Amino acid sequence: MQIEIDEISKLFGATAALHPVSLSLPSGALVALLGPSGSGKTTLLRILGGLEFPDTGRVLFDGQDATGLSVQDRRAGFVFQNYALFRHMTVFENIAYGLRARPRATRPTEAEIARRVAKLLELIQLPQIALRYPTQLSGGQRQRVALARALAIEPRMLLLDEPFGALDAKVRKELRQGLRDIHDTTGLTTVFVTHDQDEAMELADLVVVMSGDKSGGRIEQIGRPQDIRARPASDFVRTFISA
Amino acid sequence: MMTGLVHRSPIPGFGLSAGVTLTMLSVVVLIPIGALFLEGFSAGIPTLIDTINTGRVRAALYLSFRLSVIAACVNLVFGLVLAWVLTRYDFPGRRILDAAVDLPFALPTAVAGIALTALYAPNGAFGALFKDLGIKIAYTQWGILIALIFVGLPFVTRTVQPVVEEIEREVEEASATLGASRAYTIRRVILPLLMPAALTGFGLSLARAVGEYGSVIFIAGNLPMKTEIAPLLIVIKLEEYNDPGAAAIGLAMLAISFGMLFLINLVQVFSRRRIGHV
Amino acid sequence: MSDTTFRPVTTETPLTRVVLILVSMAFLGLLVAAPLITVFAEALAEGAGAALESLSHPEAQDAIRLTLIVAAVSVPLNAVFGVAAAWLITKFQFRGKAVLLTLIDIPFSVSPVVAGLCIILTFGANSWVGSWLVAHGFPVVFALPGIILASMFVTFPFVAREIIPVMIEQGKTEEEAALTLGASGWRVFFTVTLPNIRWALLYGVLLCNARAMGEFGAVAVVSGKIRGLTATMPISIEMLYNEYQSVAAFAMAAVLALLALVTLALKTLLEWRYADQLAANRRH
Repeated sequence: MQIEIDEISKLFGATAALHPVSLSLPSGALVALLGPSGSGKTTLLRILGGLEFPDTGRVLFDGQDATGLSVQDRRAGFVFQNYALFRHMTVFENIAYGLRARPRATRPTEAEIARRVAKLLELIQLPQIALRYPTQLSGGQRQRVALARALAIEPRMLLLDEPFGALDAKVRKELRQGLRDIHDTTGLTTVFVTHDQDEAMELADLVVVMSGDKSGGRIEQIGRPQDIRARPASDFVRTFISA
Repeated sequence: MMTGLVHRSPIPGFGLSAGVTLTMLSVVVLIPIGALFLEGFSAGIPTLIDTINTGRVRAALYLSFRLSVIAACVNLVFGLVLAWVLTRYDFPGRRILDAAVDLPFALPTAVAGIALTALYAPNGAFGALFKDLGIKIAYTQWGILIALIFVGLPFVTRTVQPVVEEIEREVEEASATLGASRAYTIRRVILPLLMPAALTGFGLSLARAVGEYGSVIFIAGNLPMKTEIAPLLIVIKLEEYNDPGAAAIGLAMLAISFGMLFLINLVQVFSRRRIGHV
Repeated sequence: MSDTTFRPVTTETPLTRVVLILVSMAFLGLLVAAPLITVFAEALAEGAGAALESLSHPEAQDAIRLTLIVAAVSVPLNAVFGVAAAWLITKFQFRGKAVLLTLIDIPFSVSPVVAGLCIILTFGANSWVGSWLVAHGFPVVFALPGIILASMFVTFPFVAREIIPVMIEQGKTEEEAALTLGASGWRVFFTVTLPNIRWALLYGVLLCNARAMGEFGAVAVVSGKIRGLTATMPISIEMLYNEYQSVAAFAMAAVLALLALVTLALKTLLEWRYADQLAANRRH
């Protein structure tokens, strides 16, 4: 799905979080929102997911205005920074949650739900853990379960907030490839937020470099990793990507 | 001799603090409770059972237990609502409401008892309203129920409040991004997370209600078999100089409250093992 | 699309919120505020003069004096117990600690009437301890010592429960540091431990005092209700109420209700001002 962000701005009380920003993301791209803290990248992601409402501007999905679409109706697969797994539910129940939460008319049968959960566990390469609780999983396993839970609702796009932030260096590298594979298998437009330029450059097709000051976050440069490396658009980008 | 029991510590005062603690605990709590067991079992277990198994005692224990469960259930529901409202919403008077929750802890039970009676008696402010509707509250089981709700009111709210504060907003947001309505999120995500703490509060409220005396006797009417609670029966037995009878009922009440606490602890251990903590 | 239509996903609809707030207010209003107002309204039913007059009655004065004596003895004793138990439990490793903690908590789950009954069975004239004490001119039951014991029983865990979590949070490194600097045990306690736990201790003492002065069930059983001798304030409220002396009963009740309000105010103040020095998760 193609995503269009049109002159979006956001204030939190008196603090500006986003200067008006515009951005066009092609269908099926793997996009990194890269920037230091305070650059508004998470706010932008949450606006895409329907968790925040912009003060001005519009969000378009495949050319249709989705600005006022409720979070429930948006069908954005969202992976939270600390995964936000439901710790009183098993892995199976976590992944099945979105399907079971549907109104009766569109809710799949339990057999169908079981089939889909099994398929997703296969996809994240953890077929054995369906009956465990989140507290019994490693950090890397939790991240993949969160991914599977987000994919279960057959999302129109995948949004990830610092998906590798809570992991140690070794697991981080492995899971980068895992996300790439899942993106390639599903073909979903995928946006992830990171402050780690290596991660953005290595993983993404398209990198959006953001910076922030008192007037809010803004976009410094949009481009393929190699282009940003070869031709940084500003001093900020040059310093940030060489850090 | 103590080396097997106690790890050596550079901090002084083990002997003194252990001595003070164990002496006072024994004199004030343990020996008196021991005396209760001694007296209760002194005439033999058959006599003990016969004493408890009379119509009047059974009726009193059943009444105390049944009304306490109902009161604890009412407090469970309203306690959850209060904990949520007081933690999540900001509105004028929130602080006063929050402080008011503690009043049943601080107000002496005899004061609460005569105040509730004055209020809910047929000539009282609320009692008159209900009288017009044909409902009598004071001097009936309704009156006992109101007193028991009053004394158990703070427990659920106070045990649940810190847990509401701890719930990560992300978990609620995750539920919404997966398509769940707010009602579904509350039912399937929030309530299950609050349940272990709510259950603790329920148990405390129940234990308090089963043993409550001061706030109940004024409003109860105290008719044998109808509105006579178990603690009152102990007082009556003592006034008749029937120590073994009083001890037998006391033991039955102890057994009931410890049994309930044990049960609730079991549920806690079970849910804690599943959820990790809380 | 104006932003007033947007509601954060973690809140309920405004209507739900208003309904829940009103339900909370009604519940607390009917069960808590109304009885409290009733106490003062009934006390002042015949004017402030009549209420004050009833409080100046010698029997009322005796009851107030007795209640103050009971609190003045039982609360410091329980504070000493609480500090000793907290020191024992938080500074040393020993077997049976969990059992000890459970035993300290017993009074929370024992009916006050059963507590009084236990005191009677131990120290009453029918028990061998009690008969010996009576023979030596020191009756416990139907006398001041029994009332103090009963009050101590029901408030026994209050202080310990407040300071144990605080002392666990603070660990024992500060005490160990003071010891390496050459301080004696008592000096460590008074200069290091006590300043760290003072607000929690005060908090526990406050709750303990409110309960000790207001205790009815346990005291009713052991006091014998002898006017002027063993009738505490709550007991004399019962006696006056049963004699249909409404104003006198409610005047006495109003004094205790004021005590409860002051306790709540101080408690709220402590929680607000010294939140960081009280245990994070308090139980009552």
